[in-house]
Amino acid sequence: MAVEYEARVARIVEHAPDTRSLFLSGPRIAFRPGQFISCLLPVGGETLIRPYSLASSPEEDDLEICLNLVPGGRASPYLLTLPVGAQVRFTGPWGTFVLDRAPEAEAVFIADGTGIAPIRPMLRRALATATRHPLRLLYGAESRERLLYRTELEAMAREHRDFHNEHVPSARLRDEVARRWVDGDADRARRFFICGVGAIVPALRDLLRGAGYERRAVQYEKW
Amino acid sequence: MARIRIIFENGDPERVIEFDPARAPFQHDGKPGSILDVLLGHGIHLEHACGGNCACTTCHVIVKGGSKALSESDESEEDLLDKAPGLTPTSRLGCQAVVEDPDAEIVVVIPRYTINQIVSEHGG
Repeated sequence: MAVEYEARVARIVEHAPDTRSLFLSGPRIAFRPGQFISCLLPVGGETLIRPYSLASSPEEDDLEICLNLVPGGRASPYLLTLPVGAQVRFTGPWGTFVLDRAPEAEAVFIADGTGIAPIRPMLRRALATATRHPLRLLYGAESRERLLYRTELEAMAREHRDFHNEHVPSARLRDEVARRWVDGDADRARRFFICGVGAIVPALRDLLRGAGYERRAVQYEKW
Repeated sequence: MARIRIIFENGDPERVIEFDPARAPFQHDGKPGSILDVLLGHGIHLEHACGGNCACTTCHVIVKGGSKALSESDESEEDLLDKAPGLTPTSRLGCQAVVEDPDAEIVVVIPRYTINQIVSEHGG
């Protein structure tokens, strides 16, 4: 059985009416950028197991999870109504979608919606260990107002010449990936890190691998 | 009836489950009728940190017999297995391997460890 931890909601940040970050304090766990914790939620008389990517960096004290309301879901309504001070049990860290240092090649991070959560600490780590290779973020959201961590990402782009931060409407994400990195040139040395919810993730995976990028050059996490 | 014999690498006593695959799902995590679904639904713990959504490797099992009675793995499962510790040619993710044959005779080994809690020197 996995070791269980008990944390407390120390702070809540509302990104939008249906999207929040919960900052969990208590146990200080070691994790790798990109990993997730598995929350054990008492809902309807049973314990639901739900994974949430860590949007914070390993160097920070609190663990940040970022989630939005899932229509018809049981876990997100519970978490989104927790007050400051509430207890949250979890196990982890888990997951193999990780980045320990900037790749020795151009790195492209593709996030859709709350898929930015694990990408954020990966980007920070990549920038802290940056090589001469460019780092790019293509971030899909319904609108500019729905971009999470927008101010922070824009500041990162100003501070790091080799970091390029762009956003597109989610509906255009696939076409933009195709235009830039499939049809745009014949370079197939790039490394991709993709995270999002639903079919867009395997669609991007298949697009890139089908275009000639090596299997292990296209890492992804689908929620 | 289908049967799954479960061997625990940690030395726990073997278990045998008899079940009717047509009655799946047996609980709510993993694909209905998957090894994870069957085990959890019959009171046998199998780790599944991602909730049985094919996003981790904690439900890694090694199929020692009856693999033809299981659904084929897809690319997402193969990508995750690629990172599973102790990977074998007959490794599967319990949440994805669905028992399709109503008379299946399956033998699985539950490995002792998972990779997920191993952290790097940068883990902080």
